[in-house]
Amino acid sequence: MLDSCDGRVGGLYVHVPFCAQKCIYCAFYSEASSGELIQRYVRALIRELELVAPALKPRTIFFGGGTPSLLNLRQWSEILSAMDRLNLLGAEEFTVECNPATVSLDKARLLREHGVNRLSLGVQSLDASLLDRLGRVHTRDMVFRSFEILRRAGFDNLNLDLMFAIPGQTLEVWRQTLREALALGSEHLSSYEVIYEEDTPLFQQLQAGRFDRDEDLACAMYEELVERAASAGLCQYEIANFARNEKGASPKSPHSLPTRACRHNVNYWRGGSFHGLGPSATEYIGGVRTRNWANTQRYCEQLEQGKRALESREELAPFARAGETAAFGLRMVAGWPFEDFQRTTGHDLRREWASDMETLVRRGWGERSRESFRLSPTGLRFADAAAELFLR
Amino acid sequence: MDAAHIRNFSIIAHIDHGKTTLSDRLLHRTGTISTREMEDQLLDSMDLERERGITIKAHPVTMLYRAKNGEDYELNLIDTPGHVDFTYEVSRSLSACEGALLIVDAAQGVEAQTVANVHLAMKQNLTIIPVINKIDLPHADVALAKQQLEDILAIPAETAIPASAKEGIGIEEILEAIVERIPPPKPTGQGSLQALAFDSYFDTYKGVVTHVRVFNGELKPGMNIKLLHSGKNYEVKEVGSFNPKPYTRPRLELGETGFMTANIKSAAEVKMGDTITDARNPAPQLPGFKEIHPMVFSGIYPINTADYEHLKQNMAKLQLNDSAFVYQAETSVALGFGFRCGFLGLLHMEIVQERLRREYGMDIIATYPSVVYRVTMTDQTVKEIDNPAFLPEPNYIEKIEEPMVKAFIICPNEYIGDMMALVSEKRGTLDHTETLDTKRVMLHNLVPLGEILIDFHDRIKSITRGYGSMDYEHAGYQASEMVKLDMLVNGESVDAFSCIVHRSKAEGRGRALALKLKEVIPRQQYQVKIQAAIGGKIIASESVSALRKDVTAKCYGGDITRKRKLLEKQKEGKKRMKSVGSVNIPQEAFIEVLKT
Repeated sequence: MLDSCDGRVGGLYVHVPFCAQKCIYCAFYSEASSGELIQRYVRALIRELELVAPALKPRTIFFGGGTPSLLNLRQWSEILSAMDRLNLLGAEEFTVECNPATVSLDKARLLREHGVNRLSLGVQSLDASLLDRLGRVHTRDMVFRSFEILRRAGFDNLNLDLMFAIPGQTLEVWRQTLREALALGSEHLSSYEVIYEEDTPLFQQLQAGRFDRDEDLACAMYEELVERAASAGLCQYEIANFARNEKGASPKSPHSLPTRACRHNVNYWRGGSFHGLGPSATEYIGGVRTRNWANTQRYCEQLEQGKRALESREELAPFARAGETAAFGLRMVAGWPFEDFQRTTGHDLRREWASDMETLVRRGWGERSRESFRLSPTGLRFADAAAELFLR
Repeated sequence: MDAAHIRNFSIIAHIDHGKTTLSDRLLHRTGTISTREMEDQLLDSMDLERERGITIKAHPVTMLYRAKNGEDYELNLIDTPGHVDFTYEVSRSLSACEGALLIVDAAQGVEAQTVANVHLAMKQNLTIIPVINKIDLPHADVALAKQQLEDILAIPAETAIPASAKEGIGIEEILEAIVERIPPPKPTGQGSLQALAFDSYFDTYKGVVTHVRVFNGELKPGMNIKLLHSGKNYEVKEVGSFNPKPYTRPRLELGETGFMTANIKSAAEVKMGDTITDARNPAPQLPGFKEIHPMVFSGIYPINTADYEHLKQNMAKLQLNDSAFVYQAETSVALGFGFRCGFLGLLHMEIVQERLRREYGMDIIATYPSVVYRVTMTDQTVKEIDNPAFLPEPNYIEKIEEPMVKAFIICPNEYIGDMMALVSEKRGTLDHTETLDTKRVMLHNLVPLGEILIDFHDRIKSITRGYGSMDYEHAGYQASEMVKLDMLVNGESVDAFSCIVHRSKAEGRGRALALKLKEVIPRQQYQVKIQAAIGGKIIASESVSALRKDVTAKCYGGDITRKRKLLEKQKEGKKRMKSVGSVNIPQEAFIEVLKT
């Protein structure tokens, strides 16, 4: 996996917990930005980077949020210089999430100069009224403009985030968004159904009966997505992820990933280790999952005292951990090559999960070959039910 | 105490008309309890009553009272359960008395339940002392209440004592009336002991504690006694009375009331209304004994099948204190191992289920209640059927009879039309109407018991905005066109959903059940067909369309723990679902169907 050969962790996630405005569906930890707190956060983050640097040799880095692009030029420059000093730059894949409203050419160039080679634009929708409905701070036009800026800054690996089954979204509106988004020609597309997370305004609206969920419509939208993405040359490699497969680099086997797949995320689904920094970030190292405090103030206080800001720790028994790894790995179209699974978990799918694979094959949800097990296209739609079976 | 100075009485009252408050006043006035105890008790009992809407039955209490004539009397207050389900128990308690206080709320007037219980008391020739309570209330109408006493119950208005138990008004008069008007106990003229067992409870150390009233002779420790109906002999260990705490006495004599212990292991051994007599020289039995039969049956199953043994133990414990509750093991295809339980009525059923849930912490599911149908087979044998699963095939049945009740409904005049519509909806017939006063009428109806099981009382309350009341007494069996309604899920009959219904209602109920099941059965990966059938004939059909996906949402490193926990919970939930032909039916479906 992404663990470097020298035993150091190869994945780094950094959470930037600030947003200009909270979207109504979002349950990630973030807060309205105040200049002073951001500055304090930047210092604390650098402190945290220093703490983990000795055990880290990132091959993939992902700055997510929140809105990482909300940090200004000087703050980015401080963080990136610190990473340089700590010898954390030079990752093969370095992604930063951007809100189309906060992209500037200067910032894009600064990121590019420090080795950021992949940007992810949180578009969500290209319908003006839905953007408004979701509480997004950006407009349609900003999406097109920022996409162009990023290209101009030299980024040749861009992702767009799109959401479907948004209350009020018709199939026609979704088609139009898809059409326009795919026309931009990004290398990667992340597209997923709205999630109703508790403690979000959207969830409360659902509870209050302001709208109904339409499962059939959501399913039609998903089908539309899979179909259109494929014809636009983006292949699905995970339930909600699609990527371009560059010419010349034709895959060796039908199970291998498209060249532009997000390797940072692939590491999550493959049960790999990664450091997670910043408030609320999750980290998974050697089978132990920890989570930082989801409170920027508290996070900063801890780091100012020179300590990691860990809120919780979870260590599953090895078999349960293997079950979890099996379950989440099946979200990928490639499923689990048996050898890879055994190397990652020390357990053999063919032995311990034989009857579960059998059940899924019988249902038409699973496909088993000599080397691997994966979900069929129908099975992918029922990945939760499949995952449930594999948990131990 | 010599019999001439003993008075045994009970109190008849509608819920909330002030029975508890008056009892406490009497206990206080006679010095049986202190002021502080009275306040404590008031609070307790009122909470309980409010919560359950019924009077929790209390021990008989013995009070000592010095009357105005200067003589000391032993007054025994014998409590009666306040609900129609317990009619027989009420009648047994009443038969331990020579008189009864009838409380009528000055603001509410006579209610249906009061009428039923007064009739019971009159049948036993009890002296009735009417008390018009709550005269201190601003909207009290004493004259109207007196009028109702005469009109509805044929009790002379001038015998009524105006009172306010809350304010302590009329208490003295009531105590004097008990002494003066209620006759003292008279010996039965038999040669040996006759005592009535009218209630019991279980004590971990002493076994069954039986409430007794001595009608003849005396009961004392060391005696060998016989319970005439159960035929069993015991040696009396202790006798005593309550004040209101139990205290032992050397003996209970003619006319006295109290308790007896005799190392009796189970409440089932002491039948309500049994006669206790001298084992060596038995006297004849006292009149009025009846075997009590459960009227309403329902299956009770543990939600978690592993709790079966635990449930069994708890049912046994419950039965120790409640001999009217019967159960036996049964199995259901859909629900697994459980028990078929018999109850005196719907309230009794609710109390038992509630106690299992609350006091014993059991997670249970109860099936649709059923009454006992009398089925005459073509070969002329008669079967009693309380579980739809055992109803024979129609071609072997000559006729089915269902239990009927006489239902008395009291309601304000403006709701007569609505009440008649309700009664006819419930397949009842109005026998006659009685005018109670200028505002209210009493409707006498004949209604199938099975029809009033579920929501009859609630409907009356809601139609009349709470002003209507209802009571019933059993009225035998009547032939009826009953059919078995089966619910099929993907072609398989789910026994827990089956019921016996009248033919005229089968289709409506089938349709309602199918619709409800469609709502509560979650979509599965394939279509689920729901059908209602009578015999082989499908009368209603619905389907739950197949689920086309269960996930298309994103999931990254930070989401895994929460997502896994969610999936684990779902997996756990599915274990608790009952799988009928590969269709997972959640427990809620069974509960929802009961409400349909």
